[in-house]
Amino acid sequence: MNDTPQASETRGGLWAVIRAVNFADLGIVWVTVLLFILLTQTSDAFLSSANLRNVLDQQSLILIAGSALTLTLIGGNFDISVSATYINASIITALVHNATSSVTLAIGAGIAIGASFGMVNGFIVAWVRINSFIATLASSFIFFGVGFLLSERSIVRVVDRDFTRIARGRDFGLTNATWIAAIVVILFWFILERTRYGRQLFATGGNPEAARLAGIRVEWVTASTFVIAGAASGLAGALLASRTITAQPSDDFSFVFAVLTAVIIGGTSIAGGEGAVWRTLLGAFFIALLTNGFNLHQIDPIIQRLIQGGVILAAVAADNWTRSRRS
Amino acid sequence: MELGPTDLPKIECKGVTKRFGGTVALDDVDVAIQRGHVHAIVGENGAGKSTLGKAIAGVHTPDEGTISIDGVVVDIRSPHIALRHSITMVAQELSLLDGRSVVDNVFLGIESGRGLVLNPKSDIERFHALADEHGFELDPTAKVGNLSVAQKQKVEILRALAREAQVIIMDEPTARLSSVEAASLANTVRRLAATGVTVVFVSHFLDEVLDVADDITVMRNGGIVRTGKAAAETKLSLIESMVGRSLDSAFPRRRSVSDGTPTLLSVKGLTRNDVFEDVSFDVRQGEIVALTGLVGAGRTEVVRSIFGADSLNAGTMLLDGESYSPKSPRSAISTGVGMIPESRRDQALFIQRSVIENISVAHLDDMTTGGVVRLGEERDRATSAADRVNLTGATVDSLMNELSGGNQQKSIFARWMLSRPRLLIADEPTRGVDVGAKRGIYDLLANLADEGIGVLMVSSEIEEVLGLAHRVLVMRCGRLVGELLASEADSASVMNLAFGLEAA
Repeated sequence: MNDTPQASETRGGLWAVIRAVNFADLGIVWVTVLLFILLTQTSDAFLSSANLRNVLDQQSLILIAGSALTLTLIGGNFDISVSATYINASIITALVHNATSSVTLAIGAGIAIGASFGMVNGFIVAWVRINSFIATLASSFIFFGVGFLLSERSIVRVVDRDFTRIARGRDFGLTNATWIAAIVVILFWFILERTRYGRQLFATGGNPEAARLAGIRVEWVTASTFVIAGAASGLAGALLASRTITAQPSDDFSFVFAVLTAVIIGGTSIAGGEGAVWRTLLGAFFIALLTNGFNLHQIDPIIQRLIQGGVILAAVAADNWTRSRRS
Repeated sequence: MELGPTDLPKIECKGVTKRFGGTVALDDVDVAIQRGHVHAIVGENGAGKSTLGKAIAGVHTPDEGTISIDGVVVDIRSPHIALRHSITMVAQELSLLDGRSVVDNVFLGIESGRGLVLNPKSDIERFHALADEHGFELDPTAKVGNLSVAQKQKVEILRALAREAQVIIMDEPTARLSSVEAASLANTVRRLAATGVTVVFVSHFLDEVLDVADDITVMRNGGIVRTGKAAAETKLSLIESMVGRSLDSAFPRRRSVSDGTPTLLSVKGLTRNDVFEDVSFDVRQGEIVALTGLVGAGRTEVVRSIFGADSLNAGTMLLDGESYSPKSPRSAISTGVGMIPESRRDQALFIQRSVIENISVAHLDDMTTGGVVRLGEERDRATSAADRVNLTGATVDSLMNELSGGNQQKSIFARWMLSRPRLLIADEPTRGVDVGAKRGIYDLLANLADEGIGVLMVSSEIEEVLGLAHRVLVMRCGRLVGELLASEADSASVMNLAFGLEAA
């Protein structure tokens, strides 16, 4: 408590981040490490760099959306419309690239449509005060509909096949999508742990009335998390368009559930006020390793589902248990 | 067992003691409650009257002592067991299902019917029989959510009667009622007693108590002052017994505020519709002004409006002579006003976050570069604020939920120490804080005043008000009813104003 000023200066950056990691509550770290060791022991193919690079690439889009959605959950809300935003962004990116041949405009359009969908969600949740789960479920259907209208109900193909390099191009052995995901994860990690906005977000999610009485504009903070989640989902959608060179309208919710699974398995509280981007990072890797292990061991996909569902329940139950023991 | 039951008290408590942590809420309480009487329990906030009611209703289990019903010692460990002994409680917070009808609520869990098939017609008949017997007029099919608070209370009482309750404990039943509704409740209570039901009436509204009760028990500091016939008491005699204690030296020395000291805050005609009306007062620099009165008199609401947390319908405010009308707590804070809210846990704390973050949260704007928090500076400033409030036995890196109530409250003080406020509002600053930490908080408030900060304090503890404040403002029913200088205020004069008795 009585740190000398010199000591506290050296305790800046890295130390604060390390301190933010609550060592009493690291369940996700141990299970991820255990799973990693298990896979190295049981499969020769697992440790090959091709396999590991592939795992990273597969998780990149989930990580981009997930690190942003972590902020929404810490703020005490859900965003189910991540899927619809992701699909719309891939469509608009493909359309804009076909129309302008500009990569910047195409990706910018994907992010922009995501951010504007996020503004709609944020407004509805923060000011109209509709429960975020219901609000974004409803807006999902609207956005899915927009996707069908934009694409005129058909698959949009990107004419210039070079566009695929945006996501699939490689630097230092890793795909661009992986690098972009790494940048996004670090960015949101930093925002959450080091900025005033991050502090205000934890406060708003943890106790909105106390946050208001401490001078925080809770409505703006709440709404902003939806804009951030929307923009990040938009970026993920833009990269999807690049990765597959096509964009297809659908009303498929599977992306958001994969993203939410990563966030929740990592241990970010669905009650708000608690959580971390590094948790989502580990949650995503845990799921990725699990799936990778299933595939390497050629486990029946039906059985995979059963196990994956059980693992999610176990993770959340373990989390509840440790939390209730602490309080 | 042919003891004449009328000779025995319905309920008798002997040596009942109840502790919460270190505080003794009930201290060796002996009281006998007669069958078919309305027995009122009165006392100041915190005197133990609610705790006694709850001990009889099985909500709190006494640590020592016995409770007998009809002369037989019983162990009432839960409200469920109390109900088996025909005792039930009508709590301040009603526990009705708003979406269901009156009759459904009354017979919830004891519906007529065979197996899983209910017989609503029979329930309606039972309802009418019950309502007629006790003189209630209620539409059995009305949805409870649409009823007034007074009507809901009747539903709750009927629910108790439907379970053949012989003892009904009412905890502050009129606190949320208008005067007309309160009068009607008094009638209901008298009628219940006339049909042989014993009513324990916990209240601090002395007029009502004198009007409705047969017997009155006065409590103070967890103990019984006396039990006597209501007819032998007056409002004045009750107040004297309730407050009869001298102020000890638990308070820091008060430095006087000279007449020439400039006014810091001046409010005129503050009105928030249906909450408080035409409230005007001043706070000078370095002055501690206490706003007191009964719970529900509108004190908290007034200070919340001054802090910009609730809006005003009328009135003007000046801070240091300049117009002050905060639209939000944010704008109040930026003008140099801080508030320690009434409920620490619900309105002030971020329990999963560190003490540092809890302290710095309201002043992060001063500690950021381009939105990034300067962690070293934050730590230094939060640490020195924590030292100032004398946070003992905890570090600034602790999570808030690891701290004691006293340290949590001190941390909220530290939040406002971070940048020197002009006005600090402290709503029940020592609620839920142990005795040692209380003195620390008193010292803190006195020191702030010495530095020239104006302190506007809301408190229900009359000792604290008299021991700390330079000036005492008393509110009753949303209005400011009196202003006393420390030199002229004593317990009786403050209580008289709070209860609406003419100045003694």
